[in-house]
Amino acid sequence: MGKILQLLLRNGGFVTFVLVEVFCFIIIVQFNERQNAIFTHTTGLFAGRVLERRQEFSDYIGLKERIDSLNGVNARLQTDLANARIVKFPLRDTFVVVLFDSLNSTDSVRRHVMRPLYEYYTATVIGNSISSANNWLMINRGSNDHIAPNMAVVTNNGIVGIVRHVDDHFAMVMSVLHRQTKISAALSRFHAFGSLIWEGGDPSLMTLKYIPKHFEVKPGDEVVTSGFSQMFPREIRVGTVEGDAVQDPENPYFLVMKVRLSQDMSTVGDVYVVKNLFQPEQDSLQVKVRNEQ
Amino acid sequence: MNNKLFPNLWRFIGLTAVQVLLLKQLTLSLGAYFNILLYPLFILLLPIQLATPYVVLLGFATGLTVDFFYGSIGVHASAGAFAGFFRFLLFTAFAPKGGYSGKEPIFSPEHMGWSLFLQVSAWFFLSYLFWYFSVDNFTIVYFGTVTLKTLAAWVLSMVFVWLYTAMFNPKN
Repeated sequence: MGKILQLLLRNGGFVTFVLVEVFCFIIIVQFNERQNAIFTHTTGLFAGRVLERRQEFSDYIGLKERIDSLNGVNARLQTDLANARIVKFPLRDTFVVVLFDSLNSTDSVRRHVMRPLYEYYTATVIGNSISSANNWLMINRGSNDHIAPNMAVVTNNGIVGIVRHVDDHFAMVMSVLHRQTKISAALSRFHAFGSLIWEGGDPSLMTLKYIPKHFEVKPGDEVVTSGFSQMFPREIRVGTVEGDAVQDPENPYFLVMKVRLSQDMSTVGDVYVVKNLFQPEQDSLQVKVRNEQ
Repeated sequence: MNNKLFPNLWRFIGLTAVQVLLLKQLTLSLGAYFNILLYPLFILLLPIQLATPYVVLLGFATGLTVDFFYGSIGVHASAGAFAGFFRFLLFTAFAPKGGYSGKEPIFSPEHMGWSLFLQVSAWFFLSYLFWYFSVDNFTIVYFGTVTLKTLAAWVLSMVFVWLYTAMFNPKN
C-alpha cells in the first residue's frame, strides 16, 4: 500500500486523478440505476454499430458470390423468358409450336399462357438449423411483405421448405429436413411421381418413396418437384438419385430411393418464397372432394 | 501537525453536515435547477502545500461521504476528485508573483485577499459544478440542461461561499 502511494506521489496528481476517476466511473455504473441504464443503452448502441459495420464488411466480402448467384438467376430467367416466347400446344393428334409474339391478344392460347400461376418474393435466411430431428429456418420477410403460411421456399439450386408461421416482418420456414415434410416429387426422366420425405440423419439426403416398381431408376437420375403439391411449382430441382432404388419393404409394388439434395441446406442464403395464386381455389375444390368421400 | 489537522477536520465535518442536513433539503424544496453545493469549499481550503494526489484522494473521500447521503454513489466522489486536481491547476495559474512563500497555509481571503480568493473560488466552483452535473446526467444529450443547471447552481453556491468565508474567516 505504501509503495503504491509513493508511486502515485512521484507521478503527480494527474495519475491519481485518472485512477480515481476510473474507479468512480465503475462505481457510478454499478450503484446508480439511471447511469447504469444510460451506460447499458450506449454500449448497446455502440455494439450494434460495430456489428452493423462487421456485417457490411462481410457483405462486401461476399459480394462476388452474390453476383455469381444473381448471374445464375438472371441466366435462368432469360432462358425461361426465351422459352416462354415459344408456345407448344396440342392440336388433334400432334403439337403445334408457335412464337408467342405472333399470337394476337384475343387468342385463347395467349390468354392461357398469359395467366400467371405463381408469384416469387425474394427473402434472406437469417436463422437456420440442420442438426435437429425437426429443423426450421427464419427468413427476413413476413406478412407485411405478402408472405403467408403454406408458401413454398426455393433457391436457384433447389427446394428449401414451406412457410409455416408468419409475423409482421419475419417468417418461420419448416425445412425440408423436418420429419413432417412430405413433398410431391417426380423423376424427371419418367415424370413418375412419389413422396419426398426426410428420415433424419444425413442433412444432404432425403428419401423418395412410392415410385412404381416398373420404372428402371438409375443412380444420378434427376428428381424435380411434380407440381402436384399446390405449393411448389413444377420442375423445381430437388436433387439426384443416390445409389440404387430398392423395393419398398412396406409396400412391395413401389420403389424407395435416396435423393442427394441439389441445395446444400447448410449454406442457404438468398431464397424465393413462392405464392400459388390459385391455391384458395384449389383448396376449396379439394374440400368438396373430401366432403363427398 | 494538529494546527493543520483540526481546522480542516472541523471544516470537513461542518461543511458536510451543512450540505447534507440543510442545503440538500433546501435544494429539494427549490427544484432541480436550484442546487447549492458548498462542501467543495473544504477541498479548496485544504493546505496549499498539500501534495495534489492527497488532495485528489481527500476530494474523492469527501464526495463519497456526501454521496452516501445523496444516494448517488460515485457522482460527488468523481466531482470531488476532479476538484482536487483542478485546484492544483488554478493555484498554479493564480500563483502570486514569485510563487507561494509558504506563509499562507490555505487559499483564504485572510491570506490571499478577497479579490483573488473570489476569482479562484469562482473558477473552482464553476468547473466543479459542470463536472458534477455532467457525471450526474451521464450523457451529452442533456448538454444544454447541464449548462443551465451549472450556471444556476454556481450563482447560488457562490453566495453561500461568500457568506461562509465572511462569517468564519478561515485562517488555517
